[in-house]
Amino acid sequence: MLSNMFDSSSLPALEQVVNFTQARHGVLAGNIANIDTPGYKSRDLSVEKFQTQLQEAVSAHRHAAELPSYANSDYYGAEPMDVAKEPWDKVRQVTDDILFHDEHNVSLEKQVTEITKNQTQHNVALTIMNAQFRLLRAAVTERV
Amino acid sequence: MYSVFDVSSSGLIAQRTRLDAISSNLANISTTRNESGQVEPYTPRFVIFQTDDEITTSGGGQGVKIDRVEYSTVLPNMKYEPGHPDADAEGYVAYPNIDMTTEFVDALGATRAYEANVGVIEVSKDISNRTLQILA
Amino acid sequence: MSAITPAQSFAQQSISSPAALNKPTTIDAGSFKDFLVDSIRDVNNMQNQADHAVETMMTGGDADPAEVLTAVQKADLAFRLMMQMRNKMMQVYQEVREIRV
Repeated sequence: MLSNMFDSSSLPALEQVVNFTQARHGVLAGNIANIDTPGYKSRDLSVEKFQTQLQEAVSAHRHAAELPSYANSDYYGAEPMDVAKEPWDKVRQVTDDILFHDEHNVSLEKQVTEITKNQTQHNVALTIMNAQFRLLRAAVTERV
Repeated sequence: MYSVFDVSSSGLIAQRTRLDAISSNLANISTTRNESGQVEPYTPRFVIFQTDDEITTSGGGQGVKIDRVEYSTVLPNMKYEPGHPDADAEGYVAYPNIDMTTEFVDALGATRAYEANVGVIEVSKDISNRTLQILA
Repeated sequence: MSAITPAQSFAQQSISSPAALNKPTTIDAGSFKDFLVDSIRDVNNMQNQADHAVETMMTGGDADPAEVLTAVQKADLAFRLMMQMRNKMMQVYQEVREIRV
């Protein structure tokens, strides 16, 4: 019931982004480590697939958030919460399924650039997350 | 949003390929035979760049890609060395027509261009971090 | 600043009409309530828009990071301003309650 307070903002989506960028960083770091490994094919997590899945989850979440009315006595029941959680779980599962080999040799520049982009994305998501948490804390403690 | 990194990255790859060609030219500055061992001086090669319309930024920026690798058409450098096993009937050996100074200047240019692209990536990262300061 | 006008008019009204002090029930309390509800709705809208912008950016949509972060920061500040006003209101209420008639 109290966990509902995190569902009203963009926090769930940001959480998925941070999860994804962290997982992708691991994969890209593996590519750099194997830069001189003979026969190694670079791996990656598909950003496009993740974003599509996240887009679906965001729409589903927004739709689910619109359905239960605050006047409805069932709002704090178990069912609507499960409905709201499900899309995010789907995003997390897809992270495991989108690993692919791009059949190209490892290019150091390309990999480092991808890592930089991933890091930037991670930083943006974390900074906004931080701001959301600060705002929630301000609301809870009633202090600016 | 992050395509500026792709543009700089394409520049890095292009300049490194150019540097590869230059080091190949310098390594083969005295090569008189081809890969199958026949007498044929090494022909210097040049990497030709082309703008890549698959890598674009919202501001109209475009990336670069390797169009092709061209072989030099200049005639070989004939040196009179009668005792050389690869000398022709008149005693001349055909050496690749590679000017070391030109190649070095080219290598320096490629290195500077590479550094410039790294610098742009640094600036892009800096801008991105500064944007985050809006929320800090 | 236009959003603050109802409060000012409310304040002026109560000060400029001493008669109202004798008959507290005639004060038009609706305007201040409306102002409060409106500002809460305004802040909520700003937060919704900021969240929407963040989600657009995170799903690869066409969004400028600077614009998105500015929207988030605006919503942040608007909420804090509203909360501070609410805190001051509560403080005023406590002080008025302490007054012995």
